[in-house]
Order: sequence, then structure tokens, then C-alpha cells
Amino acid sequence: MSKALICSCEDVTVEDVRHALSRGYNDVESVKRYTGFGTGICQGKSCLAAVAALIAKEGPLKPPGIQPFTPRPPLYPTEMSLFATTPVDESRPPVGGVPEELGTFPPALRPAAPLPSKARVVIIGGGVMGLALAYNLSLRGETDVVVLERGYLCAGASGRNGGGVRMQWGTSANIELARRSIDLMKQFARDLGINVWLRQGGYLFLAKTASVAKRLERNAALHNKHGVPTRIITADAAREIVPGLTMKGVLTACFNPEDGVIFPWPFLWGYAQHCLKKGIKVETFTNVTGFESSGGLVRKVKTDRGDIACDTVVLAAGAWSPEIAKLADVKLPNEPHRHEILSTEPLKPFLGPLVSVLDSGLYFSQSMRGEIVGGMGDPKEPAGLNMGSTLRFVARFSQALMEQLPQVGHVKVLRQWAGCYDVTPDNNPVLGRTPGLENLLQMSGFVGHGFMMAPAVAERMAAWMATGEHDELFHRFNLRRFTSGRIERGEDMIIG
Amino acid sequence: MRRIPDASPRGRAITVDLEGEAVPAVEGEPVACSLLVAGEDLLARSIKYHRPRGAFCFAAACSHCLMRVDGLPNVYTCRTPARAGMRLERQNAFPSAKIDLFGTIDWFFPRGLDHHEMFAGVPVAEQVMAKVARQLAGLGLLPPHEAPARLPARILRIRVAVVGGGAAGLAAAKVLSERGVPFLLLERDERVGGRLTRGAPLPDDPAVPEVASLPKGSVLTRTHAIGLYDDEGGRFLAAVAQEPEGLRFLQIHADRILLAPGGHPGLLPFENNDLPGVYAGRAASMLLREHDVAPKAAALVGWGPELHALARLLETHRTKVTAVVDLRGPLPGGAHSTACVGSEPKAHGLKRVGSFSFTRENGKRKKVDCDAVLVSIPPSPSFELARQGGATVNFDAERGLFAVQAEANGSTAAPDLFVAGDITGGGTAREAAAAGARAAEALIGGLS
Repeated sequence: MSKALICSCEDVTVEDVRHALSRGYNDVESVKRYTGFGTGICQGKSCLAAVAALIAKEGPLKPPGIQPFTPRPPLYPTEMSLFATTPVDESRPPVGGVPEELGTFPPALRPAAPLPSKARVVIIGGGVMGLALAYNLSLRGETDVVVLERGYLCAGASGRNGGGVRMQWGTSANIELARRSIDLMKQFARDLGINVWLRQGGYLFLAKTASVAKRLERNAALHNKHGVPTRIITADAAREIVPGLTMKGVLTACFNPEDGVIFPWPFLWGYAQHCLKKGIKVETFTNVTGFESSGGLVRKVKTDRGDIACDTVVLAAGAWSPEIAKLADVKLPNEPHRHEILSTEPLKPFLGPLVSVLDSGLYFSQSMRGEIVGGMGDPKEPAGLNMGSTLRFVARFSQALMEQLPQVGHVKVLRQWAGCYDVTPDNNPVLGRTPGLENLLQMSGFVGHGFMMAPAVAERMAAWMATGEHDELFHRFNLRRFTSGRIERGEDMIIG
Repeated sequence: MRRIPDASPRGRAITVDLEGEAVPAVEGEPVACSLLVAGEDLLARSIKYHRPRGAFCFAAACSHCLMRVDGLPNVYTCRTPARAGMRLERQNAFPSAKIDLFGTIDWFFPRGLDHHEMFAGVPVAEQVMAKVARQLAGLGLLPPHEAPARLPARILRIRVAVVGGGAAGLAAAKVLSERGVPFLLLERDERVGGRLTRGAPLPDDPAVPEVASLPKGSVLTRTHAIGLYDDEGGRFLAAVAQEPEGLRFLQIHADRILLAPGGHPGLLPFENNDLPGVYAGRAASMLLREHDVAPKAAALVGWGPELHALARLLETHRTKVTAVVDLRGPLPGGAHSTACVGSEPKAHGLKRVGSFSFTRENGKRKKVDCDAVLVSIPPSPSFELARQGGATVNFDAERGLFAVQAEANGSTAAPDLFVAGDITGGGTAREAAAAGARAAEALIGGLS
């Protein structure tokens, strides 16, 4: 059958690119994500120029708005066994990384149409939190909403995470939120008309130290109390779930078959497309530059495209939240921490669950496309907004993964990238009203698991905003807890 | 594709194992080349539509030639030397690549398949689709065995690192060597030369510098640069070298880095541009000059001086050139007798190219027979390492490609990073060589 291919690794046609443009995905990064071009084994070598030429010819953007998507190492597919040979100095903190990705959006990418001069609700952050909230507000009839996003949709952590969704948490609040989120994810395609590829292959946690083993056992009991079917399993049972898994040094394993993985990007597209249909404005490539406040209320949100007068502001900017809060003289205790991640060549299905060694922060799963997607926390990672990629990470990850699953030594890494966790002192989120600025609502601090919590958190936040009815979520996790000293036991099932 | 009749053998005649069948090959040449000559041009099925695929770029820049080699998935057969007895299997097909039942997907979805919205929210159907999609996704199987123990990584420190041993990189190496500046040149191929030895020659091409005249040990061939990192240890190039004992990871710290990696052969979007028998122009010239392999009859399409130079090269070796379609024009002096300005190219054939058609300037379609369609367009600059290192990359709408922004002396926005040759957006080999020499002079000037 005649087709004109523009990316032959992923079978993307010229028509597919035109379709993305017709949906309003005009910049190269968005077209890449929506069509999948450039995500295959060649990583854009043979297709990027042709796609860019088509975008420049048929789309609204012209150079310098035509930018290449970020070229991520490695330039050629490279086996993990080779990465694993590079020495790592664990005594030094990781710094640097390539390429520099912050503040690289040229003004030419900004939308041409003017910003609305006022709106009832301005949501800062077009990640999954902000967009899910806008969607839920629209379900309650509130459509006078503007969502501000500094980059393209998926530019932040919502587009950079590994897609894991799980009910295995250490606090009742998180277990309940995650359960509700996974239910909403199951019906996402029905509600919003786009596939999110939820695959419930389970989460298999491994513990190698006594304290972590104890934590898994205690939390498994808590899960069961909430009706989550987590079970502590033997090494043999774990190997049955993941053939080839080495269980050396593993003290305890626990497994919940109802956890799983999703494909993160379509959530953002689904929410955003729905919002646009309802008249909600989703303004990409727009930076918040300040606030105008008086009488204990934010009156205007200032941006590099003009000011928006508003009744309510929601800060849902993830790792960028402290930086933006500072513009309103609000100090958030959140700290951004880089987390690196990689993806391998696509392979036929061989791995059911997401596997995580909770002690080291190693995690890996197989995506619907067949890639091994995984990461590993670095205990020495300093605080700071940094999304650069390091060789140190690929080396550490490859060493740790080969120890757990030796057959992957020959598997080739296709690309590595990084995103930022939005870390709070007690690993719990920051939600609710801001002391001193009553109409500035906080929706941040999800410590790397915001993506999977967003559908449920946004649903409750929209209800709370629309009805004003009491919801303990927005009081328990209020910013006040850090000054009043009423901090509860923190979440202890954070990976990394 | 065939071997030119009177060419003398370039290597030992061997056989390789293609799914249980012994196929003749020439030891050391890219195994995809041997397969083509043996008539085995169907190497794989594509990931989504299961379209037939054969080698296209011979530069590890696409994915058409990926096969399972000796049990390892997704191996570039265009870059893997033929070895007696090596086992080759085609991927992503059932029951076989030649008769692939999933090839029907291509026919069921003539206008494409929107995986975002297909069956979205349709009860049962979406669950079935998710299960089917998972089984259909992925290429190749998890390797059945562990990787061998690898050589330890090596950390090298040098004044200047040069990436790429083509016209620009070699000219720079010559200058560095004359000035006594210690350098390392990384070349991913077995031999240096780039388009000087593998491209379609242009009349004013410079001579290929003698590697023997460069300091011993300064040229690392079969070494792929894979990243320009900036970690806690400072800036360095990461590379993988094929050494006699096996693969080795290298970290190369250099005071100055000159990037002259050339460009990637790009896809030109036209109907059936992925059919076996469609090759990049530089793949065709490489096969001809390095391995005496050429089509019987070729249709050429693209633009730029290399398009017409390729027609000349093929004719000298008695390949019948049935069309030279210049998509931009005007035609240069001395163009091939069939050359014309045209548009809307299309390759025809079910499992391999059998003919080629295009629209002439007078609006009429013309169809010609051929066993290969050769796409010769200016290469897409390999800007990846430069961008990782902090150089600025711009889109050149006129030429339809991204290029690294550089001064005339090759300097970039990153003080220790210089560029020369195709990476800056094209030009002839002579221009690339001149740029390489200028960049070498400039970067020496900055060394303390």
C-alpha cells in the first residue's frame, strides 16, 4: 500500500505530521511526541530534517521557532554492558549534565494570539496537575480558566516520568488517592477519547536491608486494610513473576498485581483538548514573571505575554513552584531534585511488572512499545533545577540493572533524559490556601509521584474549589504544617 | 544490486547463515551488502505496518536493515562485517518476512492508523487492542545470554579531539600534526576518508591525506563518539571503540574539541520511499567504490551537486541511469542525458523497487524501469554532539536542515568547541577541507 514515510523507524507518515499540526501541535517537540517520529532506533537522524521542513512549510511556526528536539545521548544505540564499565565516584555529588534544557524556548514559539486580560481562575503549570484540574473545573461548569505553561505540553516532569502507577504507599491518604487515580485512568479513554495504554502488570518491590524489609511488611498490611491486594512473596515467587531476576541479597519482596504502567503523554493531550473544546485557554510557551497583590489577595498574574486579572490562582508548577511562589513573596519548602531516566531499544514483551529495589531507588519496567524504561535515584544529587543527562547515571543504572537482571547486558540504550522531583520535607504534598494570600492555592510537592496522583487530586481539588465544602486533604497538607510543627509521619515508599 | 562483473575480489568468499540457509558473502564487507548481492534485499518488516524493508542508508542512521545477528536483536547489518557462519534472522514478521501475515495491517489502514484514538473508550475492543498492541510492539527478543565481560573503560587526556575523519577532520589533523599539537581523531568507519573515498567524486575534490603521515596512534578507527558529556569530572567525549580484543568504552578529555562528523542521509518523503531498493545516494556511492556493488538500472532523485555527480559515477561503472530527477533545479551544465527538473517522485513495487515515476515540468507523469531508486539530497548535519556541548543549532529553511552556527573559523557558542564540514550545513569536500584546516588553526591559537 502506498505510503509516504517521514519517520521509517516508527512508521510515521507525512499525513500523521499534518494531523498533528491540525490538532495544534506546531512545534517540533510536540509533533515528535504526538506522532512518535524520532523516538525510534535512529533517534531522528534520518527524519528530523524532513519533519522540520514540513512543519516550517505547512505549520504556523517559522525559524527561529523551528528548533530541533533535544538530542539526547547516546548518539548510537549502546549496550548497557559497555556503559557499566565506566567508573563512578560515589563519594562525589553528580553535577552538570547535557544538554542544558532550561530556559531554551525562543520567544518565536510563543502563540501569536493575545492572552486574555482576565479570568476567574489562572492555573500556573500545564503539567498533568494543572490540566487535570482545569478539566475537573470544566466538569463543574467553571470554564473561565487560563492554564499557563512555560514550554510545550510534556516539557516538565509530566512528560519525563517513567509512567508507573501504583497503590503501594506508606500512608492511607496516598493509598486512597492512588486507588481512585487508577480507576480514573481505566476510564480515561472513555471520558476523554484518547488511549493511555494502562497495563496492570503489577509492581514488584524488593528490599535488601532489614529496615526497608520491615517497611515493606508494615506497608503491605496497611495496603490490605485498604483492600489493596499486596502480598509479601518468596524469592521463588518473585522469579516466577520476572524470569531471570536475581534475588541475591533480597530479604523481602512484595507484589501488587493491580499496579501498572501507563503512557504519560496522552493524559496531557486528552485533558488539554477537552479544555480547549470547553473554551479554557491553555497557553504554552508563556512564562510567569510576577504577581500583583493587595489586601491579602493576588489580583493579577504577570507573564511575558501580558497580565491576567483573576479571582483565584493555582500554583501547580511542580519543581518550578518554589521559584514562582517566590515572585509572590511566598516561601515554599519544596526543593527540586534531578532524577535521571533512560529508555532502551524496543523488545518483544518479556517483563510484566515494574520492578523496584526500594533501597537503591532502582526501578525498571517495560513500556507498551517494548522499551525498558528505568531510572535510579542518586543519594548525592544536590537540590536544584537541572535536567541535564550524565554518563554517571547510565553507568550506575546499567550496573544495578545488570546485577538484578543479567540478560540485559546486551540490551542497547537509545536515549537518556532527566526530570525534576518536587521534594518536600515530609514527602507529602503542599495543598490548599496560602497563609497571607488566601486566593493563591497550592498544588505541588508530589515528590516524583504527582503524575499518578493527579487524576484523583484534581477531582477533589475542583470539588473543594467549586463547593467550598470541607476536604481534609487541603487542611492536612496545608503549607501551615511546616511552621506549626504539625508534621505527620511522612511517606516512606518514595523510589529514589 | 549486483557485483560489477570484472571487479577483482575484495575479500575471502564465505557463507553466512540466513534463517538456516547458507548465503554467499564476502568476508569483512557489511553483511547487508552481501545479502543484497545474493538477492536477499528484504531484511525486515517495519514496526507498525509491517512494510517490507531493506537497507537504505548504510550509515546506521535509519532502522531499515536491523536484524537479529547471532542472537542479538536490532543489529545494524549495514555496519556489521560479514563473518563466516554468522547467524542472521529477520525481525518483526510472522511466519516469515517474505510472507508476513501482519503485512495486512498496511492494507487495512491505507490512510494510516491513529493509535491515540483507535478504539479509545470502546468497551472490550480497547482491552483487546491493548493486549494485541503489546504483542505486536517491540522489535526483536531479549538476548538469551549475558554479555561477555567487557574491557575496562579507558580515560584519555589529550590537547585536541577531532570527531570524524572525512574531508574536514583529516584536513584539521594534517594542520595539527604539522604544528606538533597532540590530537586524537575518532573515525567510526574502518578507514578514514568520508565522502572523499565513499562519495560521488566532484571535479575539485582534494586528495585524501595519507594517514601514514599523521602521528602514530593519533587516529582511532571503528570508534563511535556517542555523547559529549559535562559531568563532575569536566567535559569529555564518550566513545565506543572496536579494538582487536573487543569493544571498549572511552572517555576522552580534551582542551579543544573539533566536531567534523558530517551528516546523516535523510529520508525524502515520497510514496514508497521505504521500499527495499530505495537507497541513500551516499550508500550507493559507498557500495560502488568500496565493494564494487551497484544497481543494474537506477533512477536518481534529489538535488544538489552530489545528485549529478552520482549519475556520472554510476555510468562510468556501467549502471544504466534511467532517470535523474532534480527536485529543485536548474540543471547544472553537463548533467546526465536523462536529467530533468521534476516533482512528485514515487517508487513502485510490491516487495522491492521495480520502477519509478515522477511529474515532469510539463505536468505529465513519466515512469521508468529500475532496480534501485537512489535518493541524493544534502546530508542532515550531525549536530547532536555540538548541541550537547552548548553550540547553537539553527534551522535553515532554504536548505531544509538544521546546522550548527559557527564563525568562519569554526568557533561556536561554546568556547572549547569547533566545527567544520557538513555539520555547518553543507558544501563541497574542498570547502569542508578548507574549513577543517581553518578551524584547526583557530583552535591552536586559543591553546595556552
